[in-house]
This record gives sequence, C-alpha cells and structure tokens, in this order.
Amino acid sequence: MLKQSVLRKFKEIVGELNCWHKLEDLISYSYDAAVEEPKIPDVVIRPNNYEQICEVIKICSEEGIPLITRGAGTNLSGGTIPVRGGCVLLMTALNKILEINREDLYAVAQAGAITFNLAQEAEKNGLFYPPDPGSMKYSTLGGNVAENAGGLRGLKYGVTKDYLMGVKFFDMEGNFVTGGGKTVKLATGFNIPGLMVSSEGVLGVMFEFIFKLLPKPHTSKSMLVIYKDIIKASETVSNIIASKILPATLELLDAFTIRTVEEATKIGLPTDADALLLIEVDGHPAVVEEDFNKIKEICIRLDGTVEVADNAQQKDKIWEARRKALSCLARIKPTVILEDATVPRSKLSDMMKAIRSISAKYNLTIGTFGHAGDGNLHPTILTDRRDKDEMERVKKAIDDIFEAALKLDGTLSGEHGIGIAKSKYLEKEVGKGTILFMKKLKYGLDPKNLLNPYKMGI
Amino acid sequence: MKEIIKELKELEELIMRCMKCGSCQSVCPLYRSDLKEQSVTRSKLAQIESIYEGKLKDTGKILKYIDYCLLCGRCKVNCPSGVKVDEIFLRAKTILRKIEKMKGWQKLILSLAMERPELMGKLAPFMHIALKFSSKKIKNDIYKPIFKDLSERHLFGIKRDPFTKSFAGLQKAQREKSQVLFYPGCAVQYIFPQIGEALVRILNYYDVSVLVPDLNRCCGVPAASMGDLELYKKMVNENLDFFESTKMPIIITCCPTCEYGLKDLGFRITGRAFSGKIIDILIFLEENLELDIVTSLKGKMSLHLPCHYDTHKSNLPSKFLNDHIKADYVTLDNQDCCGFGGTFNLKFYKKSKAISLPKAEEIKAKKIDYLFTPCPGCIMQLTDALISAQANTEVFHPIEKIYEEIKKRN
Ligand SMILES: Cc1cc2nc3c(=O)[nH]c(=O)nc-3n(C[C@H](O)[C@H](O)[C@H](O)COP(=O)(O)OP(=O)(O)OC[C@H]3O[C@@H](n4cnc5c(N)ncnc54)[C@H](O)[C@@H]3O)c2cc1C
Ligand code: SF4
Ligand code: SF4
Repeated sequence: MLKQSVLRKFKEIVGELNCWHKLEDLISYSYDAAVEEPKIPDVVIRPNNYEQICEVIKICSEEGIPLITRGAGTNLSGGTIPVRGGCVLLMTALNKILEINREDLYAVAQAGAITFNLAQEAEKNGLFYPPDPGSMKYSTLGGNVAENAGGLRGLKYGVTKDYLMGVKFFDMEGNFVTGGGKTVKLATGFNIPGLMVSSEGVLGVMFEFIFKLLPKPHTSKSMLVIYKDIIKASETVSNIIASKILPATLELLDAFTIRTVEEATKIGLPTDADALLLIEVDGHPAVVEEDFNKIKEICIRLDGTVEVADNAQQKDKIWEARRKALSCLARIKPTVILEDATVPRSKLSDMMKAIRSISAKYNLTIGTFGHAGDGNLHPTILTDRRDKDEMERVKKAIDDIFEAALKLDGTLSGEHGIGIAKSKYLEKEVGKGTILFMKKLKYGLDPKNLLNPYKMGI
Repeated sequence: MKEIIKELKELEELIMRCMKCGSCQSVCPLYRSDLKEQSVTRSKLAQIESIYEGKLKDTGKILKYIDYCLLCGRCKVNCPSGVKVDEIFLRAKTILRKIEKMKGWQKLILSLAMERPELMGKLAPFMHIALKFSSKKIKNDIYKPIFKDLSERHLFGIKRDPFTKSFAGLQKAQREKSQVLFYPGCAVQYIFPQIGEALVRILNYYDVSVLVPDLNRCCGVPAASMGDLELYKKMVNENLDFFESTKMPIIITCCPTCEYGLKDLGFRITGRAFSGKIIDILIFLEENLELDIVTSLKGKMSLHLPCHYDTHKSNLPSKFLNDHIKADYVTLDNQDCCGFGGTFNLKFYKKSKAISLPKAEEIKAKKIDYLFTPCPGCIMQLTDALISAQANTEVFHPIEKIYEEIKKRN
C-alpha cells in the first residue's frame, strides 16, 4: 500500500490528471500482451516532461517503491507486469519525434513515440527507418529499445540495436545519463546505447533516443513460392543466403497457417501446400532484377512454384497473407501463445522438424510462421487457458521448444525478450557466470532492486 | 450483486477471445487522444473480467469506463482476434445499469423518443420554438444556445414539421418500375427533412416508388448505448415487424448507424434478421439504378466516411462522389471518427468536440469548400466543429447535391 503522503507528492509532481491509484484504474496496468498472471500496481504516473521523471524516480528511490516503466504494454514476455506492485511510469505522453536530420541521416525521438510515426516521418523526408515489428503501429520506441525489437526486415537491415546511436535516461538514483551521439563514429566511454538495448527496463528510464536513418531503397519486388515439402522451403532459405543474396524479407508460413489464413481470408492461397515463402528484394532497380532472378532459379531448383507480384495490388495480396497470419490463428482458440525461439538459419529445417514432433507429442495445435531469413520462427500455440490439462502440456511443449532451439545453437528469444515468461530458461542459455555478471551490474546501479524487479530472473 | 457477477461471467466466452495484444490502441480515437490505457478496449475488457474473476469487488465502479466509448467500431474491425467489442460493451452496460440506474430525465427522454413517436412528432413544433428563443442564429438553420452550459455548441434547428408529416404514404414514381420502403431515422425526421425529401425524389426520378411510414420509430441504438438493451430489442422488433408487414423487399436508409442497429447489431442482439434487404441509399443508387447524374461544383470537396458505414462497401462513397460530383477531390489524412458517437456527444461533449477538431482544422487548412458525408450524425458533428474552427466549409449528404441537379433537369 502506498502512503498518502507519497501519493500527495506524486500528485504535486505530475498533477491529479496524470496520477491514478484507484483499483479500477490500476487494473489497466496489471497486464501486457504476454500470457502471464496479471499483478496490480499501487500507483500509475504519467510524466509530461523529463524533470517529472527524475522527481518520481527520486521519490521511489527514497521510499523503496518498485518502478516499472511502461510504453504501450505490448511486449510478449511479461516485461511490464508489476510483479511486486509499486509504481508504473507510463511513457505515452512523451511521444514526439523531435528531429529528422536529412544531412546527417538521423532522427531524435522521445521514448513514448510510436514506432510507426518515426517510420512515417522518415519516409516523408525520403529516408528509411527499417525496424518494423508487427506491433509497430502501437509499440513505443522505448519498448523497442528495451526489447531490441525486430521485424520482417531483420535479415538485410538488422533490428533496433542496429539503429540506436544515442540514448538519454535516468538511473535509479535520478542521475541523468547520456550515451552515444549524432556521429557515425564515437569512442567515448562505455557503449551505453548497446547496454540499454534489451535491458527490459531494469537499468534506467530512457526518455530520448537518436536513431540512424537510411536512404530509402529505390525499388522492391516480391514473390510467393509454394512448396509441397517444408524442408525444401527451409533449404531454399539457406541456399539463397549461401549464394550471397540478402532479400529484405524472407518469411515462411507452414501448412497449418496457410490453411487457416485461406479459410479466414479467401485470398487464394494453395491449401494443399506444405509451406510458403514470401520473398522481397529491394534496392537499385538493376540489382533488384538480378537478385530476383537468381532467387527464382534457386526456388525452382528446389521444387518451389513461383508466383511473381507484377503490380502493387498483387504485392499487397502476397503480404496480406503474412500480415494476417497471427490474427487468423488467433481466431481459432481463445488463448494464443506466441513463441519466438530462434536458430541459426542453416538449422531452420531441423527446428521445423522439432516443432512438428513436439506438436504431435503433446497433441497440441501449433501454427508456425516467421522470419525464416533470420531463423526467427514464431511457433504459435493455440489453446484455452481454462483447460488445466492442456495448459500443462503447453508448458512442457514450450520447455521442449526451447530445449530444441538451444541444442541447435539457437536462442530463447529472437525479439520478444525474457521478462518473467522466460526467466527460468535464461541460465541454461547463457550460463551462471553471465547471470552473475548481469546481477552485479544491476545491483551496482540499483542496490534495492527497484527498477522493474524480477525481470530476467533478477 | 451475485446476480450481476453471474451475468457478467456470461460474457466470458466473448471476452476470453481478447489476447491483450494492444492493437486496439492504434485505432481507438479516445486512446489516441487520452494516451492512457483506461480509454482503450483492452482495458475495458480487463475491467469486466476482473469483476467476474473476483479481483474487483466494487462492481459499480466500472460502468463509467465502459460507457466512455464512441461505439465507433474501429477496435472491433481491426481486432486480430475478432473480439465482438460492441456486443460485449452494450451487454455489460445493460447489466451494470442495474446498479447505477439511469438518471430520471435520461430515462424520460429515452422512453419519449423511443416509445412515443407520435408524441415526439407533436412536440416538435414546441421544441422548434423553444430552440429559437433560447439561442442565437449563427447561419441559416444553425443556432448557438445562450445557456452557459450549452453555449459551445452549434445546433441545427428542430423542424416545425417532422419529415413523415409531409411525406407519409406511397410517393409514387411516374413510371413506377419498383417499390421500396424508406426508413428515415430520427435525424431526418426532426432535423434534416431535406435529406429525406432528396432521397424520395431521386428514387422517384429513377422510377422507384417510395413508401414513407406514417411514424418514425427510433432504431433503438441510443437506448443500447445508454445501457438499455431491452428497450433496444423492443425497438428492433417493432421496426422489423413493421418492415415485414409492408411486404417491401428493400428498405432504404440514409443513416449508417440506423442501418447497423437494424441489421448487423440487431441480428447479434435479437437473433432476428429482416427477410428482405436493408441498404444504404448510396449503395442502392450505385448498384441497383443507372444513376446518370453528374453535377459540377466550384472548388474543393472531400469525404468523411461514417464509422458504421457497411464495412464491405467502404470504398463506395468516394467512388460515388467521384462519379457523380465534379469538383477538386481531396483525400483527408485524418480518417478518424468524427467524435459524435450519438449519446457520447451528450455525455462527453468536450471530448467529443476535441476528437472532431483536428479533422476540422485539416479541412480548414486544405480550404475544402464542400465536405460530404452519408450520415446525418456526422453532418451535425462536423458542422459544429467546422464552425468552431472558423472554416467556411459546408457539410452535405451527397444525395442533397444530386437532388439539386435533378431539380434543374425537371
Ligand atoms: C501482435 C504483436 C506483434 C508483435 N510483433 C513483434 C515483432 O514483430 N517483433 C518484435 O520484436 N516484437 C514484437 N512484438 C512484441 C512487442 O510489441 C515489442 O516487444 C515492443 O518493442 C514493445 O513495445 P512497448 O512500447 O509495448 O513496450 P512495453 O511492453 O510497454 O515494455 C516492454 C519492456 O520495455 C521496458 N520499457 C518500455 N519503455 C521503456 C523506457 N522508456 N525506458 C526503459 N524501459 C522501457 C518495459 O519496462 C518492459 O520491460 C509484438 C507484440 C504483439 C502483441
Ligand atoms: S485488438 Fe482485440 S485482441 Fe487485441 S487487445 Fe484489443 S480487443 Fe484484445
Ligand atoms: S468502439 Fe471506438 S471508441 Fe470505443 S473502444 Fe473501440 S475504438 Fe475506442
């Protein structure tokens, strides 16, 4: 329970209208997009400027109140669930894109700004911000950095960490910290932006970023390739990359996902296919043409049937299948668990085989789609959280999926983070020493463990 | 109280579908304006859930959150899991209304508007006079009330004669080829009879006779949104009974919200569907008749698409404008809800206005002369906002301009 005197102080800082403490309001901040048990915070505060953040941090620090920074609350690992109660700091009002610099190709934006708005502002200026998580229309940049969000363009363009040039934040003592800057080269002190990426809100409250922008690619071309055997599709992926071509996107849908999408949308997908690859190449027109033809040859050699999108409409249709994958799966059963185990892409077909046998072993419905190009698959388990028996099997299946990914030199999470959902598996992947290192770093900065406690097992 | 929790629990099957992905944030006009989770669908569903899961004991607390919704349907259309948001909210409100009763005057107005249409018709001349004496005339047919609490608003006049008073009966086409029934809805009945007139005369011109009812029965949507589903069901049933009794195969509407209330939502709440078709006037003109009218306007025009417009035909209104009205067509960046939301505008006027103003500002900045929208509610709301933004734009239902052209031909 929060002391009345503390509540009064919070209200003085941000005003009545930006401070909530009634149960019916707090419920709205007890969950995020992960399938985890909700926990109610004690208070929610929405700062409108940077000073207010600093003052709130200082009070939490003095009073020993846990502080959970929240963007849009769309992470899939329970990263914003206030496990120990405390204060949720809502960043949504700090949502401005402050600068798009065309000479030096960077953007300055506040942490609560929506990813899509940054991408659009860049585009208006003839520039390109490539990270495009499926949630980009509502996720915040702060959440993207804290989770190192990826997207469809990871293979060629990388993920959020590849674009973060600078960061400003407050640590748990309320010290103002800044790392990185506007220059391409920079060698002053620790690589603090690198440290803050994937930090899941446990190291500081970030409020402003500098992001790298790219010139916009001239043109792009898409194709859809149909396979009778998913293993061949996986081999195609390895072959394309081995032949030194980097498509902008290389997405895979498995048979179950194809049938589900087709049933729901009737866009004309081949329901007897075992797998689909959706491929897009972008860049200079001449290079696009050449790469496109090479890819086509590889696909045909591996028994794929190629459908080329000749115009914008057809291109849209191809990508609609991918965009709707999750939503179509989600409509089948009430509970959707979206996993994100990732393997080196040469191991993709092994991982696909493993997922298939796990789904059969536990008698579960799993639809798999994902970023084949970077080995990041989304096995999506469709279940009902009221079915205790099935949920037990789901848990075991998830254990097995992680086990399989690690065996193949992969990782627990390509882009969704650890949070509370995967903390118990973390040590298995990184080892005792690494956990200890993370803990020491954390306790050095935040000895009372107030910043987003219990996340990543800390 | 147990009863209420039990009834809310019946919504579990529908609410469970929400996977808490947060996509609704990107489309909810209220969330995008308020930037707090409480305003968005996901949160309102979580609040209902927290009651039947026993986390929130004080059941009475959440009605005001659920009631704070434009029922614009954006979250429902966009929801990856297909959560039936409108149905959940309306049912939850009705259940929660058992704790917090509607205010007496609200109840009175509702039952007057819904259950006593003949009385409403008789009262119209008095309301017409009352509004005239209590307000300042701003422009032709637009008034600004002088009472302090209402003085921010710009209202259309209430007409002395309701639409059905002058038009009831079979309005026969000279060379009748078919017949339809027109459902006017309350806005045409009391405020915009000229839209009803345009609709009837255009159809007559194209050889369609139009049956206009003697009385306008409200579609019931306002009752649903106030938390009285029983009254809503009663209205849907009365209307459908009447439709069936006329044996007309086609009912024409010019208010997408009435259409939604009588068709899509109506079916889901009452389980009953009209045996013929209920169609919006633009869709009927485009798909059933050979509309050869092209009228020209000087200047720029644009379109506001009403939230409840038939989702399968959402491209039709812009095509209609481009085919039949020649002017410089400008697409608006702001494709949000106008903020009206029917009773939302009465309950939360300030927010309602705040949602409409950015659109009005864009329309003003782009110097748009004519804004078309096939919905009387949107016309009221956007006219109010445009006057507040000091824009010179005029707002019309597209058929008003088509009718002007037909009058010229005759
Ligand atoms: C339908 C759907 C599709 C998705 N698709 C993708 C995808 O393709 N790729 C992908 O990578 N992810 C995806 N995600 C996951 C999620 O959207 C991302 O993790 C996103 O980056 C989270 O942003 P957010 O603003 O919602 O952050 P939140 O969920 O609010 O927070 C996430 C974490 O970041 C911390 N945090 C947030 N803001 C700050 C800040 N200012 N300072 C310090 N810490 C902060 C929080 O404490 C928390 O630990 C998807 C999610 C959904 C629901
Ligand atoms: S978009 Fe649908 S599933 Fe997602 S949070 Fe909103 S209501 Fe729930
Ligand atoms: S119906 Fe409209 S206003 Fe209501 S919650 Fe959904 S998007 Fe928001």
